[in-house]
Amino acid sequence: MAASMGAANAASSDSQGPAPASPSMEGSTIQYSMILDHLIGDKRPVKDLNPGVMGGLPVPPKSDEQKMIERGMESCAFKSVLACVGGFVLGGAFGVFTAGIDTNVGFDPKDPLRTPTAREVLKDMGQRGMSYAKNFAIVGAMFSCTECIIESHRGKSDWKNAVYSGCVTGGAIGFRAGLKAGVLGCGGFAAFSAAIEYYLR
Amino acid sequence: MDPMKAQQLAAELEVEMMADMYNRMTNACHRKCVPPHYKEAELTKGESVCLDRCVAKYLDLHERLGRKLTEMSVQDEEMMRKAAVGSG
Repeated sequence: MAASMGAANAASSDSQGPAPASPSMEGSTIQYSMILDHLIGDKRPVKDLNPGVMGGLPVPPKSDEQKMIERGMESCAFKSVLACVGGFVLGGAFGVFTAGIDTNVGFDPKDPLRTPTAREVLKDMGQRGMSYAKNFAIVGAMFSCTECIIESHRGKSDWKNAVYSGCVTGGAIGFRAGLKAGVLGCGGFAAFSAAIEYYLR
Repeated sequence: MDPMKAQQLAAELEVEMMADMYNRMTNACHRKCVPPHYKEAELTKGESVCLDRCVAKYLDLHERLGRKLTEMSVQDEEMMRKAAVGSG
């Protein structure tokens, strides 16, 4: 900022002798405004800046498609898709598991005393697994999406992002059942996210 | 001072100026955006967003202050030229 310009001015005055800005007849004075135009203003040369030139470690330049791929993988949309797919798989497994330990699977409401056939039981397990999977997928995608958006907005990466996005997700899910359920959902999910973040950090 | 000499001087100073600016910018943005507790090796999304903003602001600031300094030195030169004409 201004400090680096101070360094440049000090360097130029050192190389040209004392009080270079005072007018003299020989025309060897320095006109700062002209130099500044060439350094910072409109007449500066266009250069391909590389951290190796400026004092960092020389790094091979990344190709355009590599940059595009990396930017895509870091984006909020990709992360929420990933969370959606992960939630789907996890929900399916969880649903099948709970169906496995449930005694009422395959229950036929029209004839409660008949033992269900294997095909009916499997079909019921599949349906339950699918319903859990869809729910988990939606919740996961919403949580991941809101967390990514909140983190991008705040510019920081700490535990508060998960708590805020837990409140938003829980509130959105509970809001369909009324305002009070929304507030409860917000608090509950935020507390759950805070516990998970505490465990992870 | 003729423009060729100004351009040569600027070319000499530029390398030093850019290196200095790069180092200061890296230090400042690292201090502002990356808290000193490292839980993983990669930059998180929040940190990389913060670094983008930090670099953009730094360069904007650099340019604006440079223009302001150029204006001020033009005014100073005008004053000195008038003083020289007046006294000479």
